[in-house]
Amino acid sequence: MTKKRYERPIIIKHISGLMNKFGSNPTASYKSDIDGVAVEKLVEKFGSPLFVISEKQLRQNQREAYRIFKTRYPKVQFAWSYKTNYLNAVCSVFHQENSWAEVVSEFEYEKARRLGIKGEHIIFNGPDKSREALLRAMKEKAKIHIDHFDELYTIIELTEAEKLKAKVAIRVNMDVGIYPMWDRFGFNFENGEAWQAIKRIIAAKNLELVGLHTHIGTYMMSAEAYRVAAINLGTLAKKIKNDFDKVIEYIDLGGGFASHNTLLGQYLPAEQVVPSIEQFADSISSGLFELSFTNEEMPTLILETGRALVDDAGFLISSVIANKRLSDGRRAVIIDAGVNLLFTSFWYKHKISPAQPNGSYTENTTIYGPLCMNIDCIQDSIALPALKVGEKIVIHYVGAYDMTQWMQFIAMRPNVVMVMENGSVELIRKAENIDYLMERERVPEKLLLKKK
Amino acid sequence: MNFFLDSILFSYGQIFFSNRRWFGALALTATFVVPEIGSMSLLGVVISNLTALMLKYDRAKIRSGFYGFNGILFGAAVIFFYKLSFPLLLLIPLFIVITFLLASVLENYFAAVFNLPGLSIPFVIGLYVFMVFLTNYNFISVSSIKTYDVYFSIVPLWLQSYFKSLALILFQPSFISGVLISIALLFFSRTLFLLSIIAFASNVIFLNLILPQNSDSLLIITGFNSILTAFALGGSLIIPSRKSFMLAIFSVVLVIIFTGFFYKVLHGTLPVLVLPFNFIVLFTLYSLRFRQEQSDLVALYFTPGSPEENYYYHHNRQKRFERFKFYFPELPFFGEWFVSQGYEGEHTHKEEWKYALDFVIADEDGKQYKETGKELTDYYCYTIPVTSSMDGEVVKVIDGIIDNEVGKVNLEKNWGNTVIIKHGEGFYSSFSHLKEESIKVKVGDLVKKSDIVGLCGNSGRSPFPHIHFQFQAIDKLGDKTLQYPLAYFLQKTDLGLELKIFDIPEEGKSIRNIETHKSIKNAFSFSLGEKLRFKCRLKEKVFTEDWEVKVDIYNSLYLEADSGDCAFFYQTDKLFYFISYTGNKRSALYYFYLAAHQTPYCYHKNIYWKDRYSIVDLTGTRIRYLSEFFLLYKNFLTTEGKFSFGERFEDEDSFLIKNTINIQGKGLFKGFSRLFNTEIEINAEGTISRISYFETGNKTFEANSINK
Repeated sequence: MTKKRYERPIIIKHISGLMNKFGSNPTASYKSDIDGVAVEKLVEKFGSPLFVISEKQLRQNQREAYRIFKTRYPKVQFAWSYKTNYLNAVCSVFHQENSWAEVVSEFEYEKARRLGIKGEHIIFNGPDKSREALLRAMKEKAKIHIDHFDELYTIIELTEAEKLKAKVAIRVNMDVGIYPMWDRFGFNFENGEAWQAIKRIIAAKNLELVGLHTHIGTYMMSAEAYRVAAINLGTLAKKIKNDFDKVIEYIDLGGGFASHNTLLGQYLPAEQVVPSIEQFADSISSGLFELSFTNEEMPTLILETGRALVDDAGFLISSVIANKRLSDGRRAVIIDAGVNLLFTSFWYKHKISPAQPNGSYTENTTIYGPLCMNIDCIQDSIALPALKVGEKIVIHYVGAYDMTQWMQFIAMRPNVVMVMENGSVELIRKAENIDYLMERERVPEKLLLKKK
Repeated sequence: MNFFLDSILFSYGQIFFSNRRWFGALALTATFVVPEIGSMSLLGVVISNLTALMLKYDRAKIRSGFYGFNGILFGAAVIFFYKLSFPLLLLIPLFIVITFLLASVLENYFAAVFNLPGLSIPFVIGLYVFMVFLTNYNFISVSSIKTYDVYFSIVPLWLQSYFKSLALILFQPSFISGVLISIALLFFSRTLFLLSIIAFASNVIFLNLILPQNSDSLLIITGFNSILTAFALGGSLIIPSRKSFMLAIFSVVLVIIFTGFFYKVLHGTLPVLVLPFNFIVLFTLYSLRFRQEQSDLVALYFTPGSPEENYYYHHNRQKRFERFKFYFPELPFFGEWFVSQGYEGEHTHKEEWKYALDFVIADEDGKQYKETGKELTDYYCYTIPVTSSMDGEVVKVIDGIIDNEVGKVNLEKNWGNTVIIKHGEGFYSSFSHLKEESIKVKVGDLVKKSDIVGLCGNSGRSPFPHIHFQFQAIDKLGDKTLQYPLAYFLQKTDLGLELKIFDIPEEGKSIRNIETHKSIKNAFSFSLGEKLRFKCRLKEKVFTEDWEVKVDIYNSLYLEADSGDCAFFYQTDKLFYFISYTGNKRSALYYFYLAAHQTPYCYHKNIYWKDRYSIVDLTGTRIRYLSEFFLLYKNFLTTEGKFSFGERFEDEDSFLIKNTINIQGKGLFKGFSRLFNTEIEINAEGTISRISYFETGNKTFEANSINK
């Protein structure tokens, strides 16, 4: 029998009797393993802090999302949103699950190509595409989603100069009843700008309009908005067929499905207020079916879902550096993962669990990161049991954006591992070190402090 | 000249139901054991065929020997019975023409009216007329042909009798002709060879049992009639099988009885000849036609080859296409579903309703719901669209029945909300347990395949959400179910996705529809007049081969290589398959025929499917000459092709359809096994870019497409 864990005493208000309006005392559940691999073991081998990604969860999410859409609409294609998490291993899992690549920059494009994705399976989004990037995308038959007229003109100019054909789509923005309305990307639907762009593309003999794209927002809480968006794009597709006898191959509804993370301002937990993928899928398919496309005209539905597929497959393990009492008596812990690794803590109340069993008493705690900056606060207030220095906590739902928006600031970026389906653990991104950091730097001769 | 030579050789072959030149040549040689008979029968066939040619009969029929063989028999028979003299020589050509005319009437009449072969009746009539006519003259003397059989007295008599029976088919008095014919038979068809021996043996036995007093005088005449009858009924005009073998033996009894009958009726005035054979074969074939089920003792329904070839052709066709039906229904939903209750299921698919299917959606772990499964909305399939399985007209809509809570059933309105769609006369499909107020169609609507009909619900006798799907013959709600396969679908197995063609989904399996892949469909969508060219390498030999897509008078499409080789194919909206191949087994078209035997227009990493081959279509199968001795009992060789796609990485543009053809011996031939591999490479634009063929792992053939 192992020795029982010591937990230092805490003083809490005694609540007697039945439940009151505040509910019972929160008790913290713990998470000591990820897909069967002990947190303790992971840290032992790969250090702390440590990002852990579950291959099983990634695949399960993708398969479930595919099943949900595919049973509602016959032609469905997912495109993995690189910006959400472009670690090679993560992208590869999605590509193995038949996802295309959705990229918004030249380097993401190159990454996708290096992973083996062929041009025609790359959706090239974003407002900033250089001439070189456009040229390459055209040559490789990528699907270029045009964001503005200047880009359109550049493409036309390039195709004429280089005698190339380009497969393009336009991004359309529209009012779907969401505030704030996203109108900075693409061409507006309501004021006819989108139609102007379509006409211009149809008129250009080297351009082929293959798709229509919209991205109505992010972390969407309304499924209905997608129905409106689907109908609007479908209507455009029908009109294009009518007026120009051109069948649109696909309608791309972008991403934006919310994940299980709770936003800072939300009162209720995400699980209770965020629409399920089924609801998004119901809205989109019912919207598309309203247009009664014939079998030949029926466009493929492309989804660039990122967050909802990857968020809950990512975990951040961190260790307690110190316990503190703040001036107002609140308890605080300092952990070894700061906001430089957890950018999303600026908008989410992450779910955080201790990595070991605890007593049943919790205390409201503020969690600070290790950075010597005031902003480095992981969570303002969370009910946690007493933790000892060196003990581990697991931060949930960090698969999306954290591993792309993280930065080397005061501390460097740690190891990222993937727990594979068979239970093995693979290092998928090595921790940065000082050599990596300084490799890019050059010190002018004059500033040298020591002999070479 | 070639044409004429063919017409002669095939005429000789026809007598033994053979379509081989060399067989004809051997039979021709056999007749020259007695040169007078040989030359006269040759005269018979030459005159018959020349007459036919001059009168402009169908050249193909002339070439096949259709009009010639009666002439052979006539020429031979005359010399068999009469001594050749000058006046006789003048009469013979005249009567050969008469026999030809009789043949042209009878062969065609029997073919057109009864779909039966005319056999040798024209010859029998011609000869009778001739014989009776000759009684007007007195210059006739009986034949006195000498045979050299006496020098071979070492050969036992019973064996001589057997050979003589064979020889007499060609009116050869010498058993040596019979030896030649017997050898020819052995090489042409093991089945016929075996039948000739068995027929003769049973003839000896039955003759001694039935007509012991005549056993010596009738032995040869019943012998050759028995052999011919056994040929026809045992393998040549009926597909060989155990039953046909029994029929052949039984027909020997008939031969003896009818020979006895004709012998008495003709009373010595005319010879019995092949009358019993003709009579028995024709009436047996005709009477078999009236059976309710034609699944065994199948009469030939195609251009005949050897009995073995007929056997392979028939069984191959049966295994490959028997299930093919007129309607092409597909699964009535999008995406992947799960068969929760199949045909003859243990819950409700019983008795009149046993041919029904229940579908639900299950996740990776096989669960049908999330959370606790206590709410309808927990079920994955609840409110998921249900689609029409093929084009049709909505004939019945029942709506307004509320969805049950989970675990409850509505026995009063047990079918729940239902839509019935008519697809054709006597062919309806019915969906039940739809969600209340979810039906998207109304009576009279025309729906297309995969149009949404309604949403999956939980109305009627449905404890948890599912679709009940059945075919039925009328539009009545809950009418008895009709067994009908789905044209094509993919079924999940441990090995991947198995393509099923005209099959029934199995309970406990996940299934989905085929999705056509543009590139692959393009590659196999051959249109009339399309031309392809390949640069080929067969071992060391390099050559170019051209193909063209053509159509025959029956509207069947085929690929024809510049060498004249032909491969007939058929295509549906989702499937391509070859039906038959004729020609050289070393052409690109031949290898393509093997490699693309049956190909769906879809691509999946782990899809696989199977198909059968006819053993005669494959090379390196000489073992079959041995196994064919047992064909009347059983076919000991199986030939199967296993198809799949080659491993394909994302950055590859082309697709590879791989196929392993396995010839496997069973039973006695267990030790025999051969493997061939084929590959077809299809590029992203959807053209067939390469065809390869491997023998035991070594590439022996490769063809690369050249753009014209």
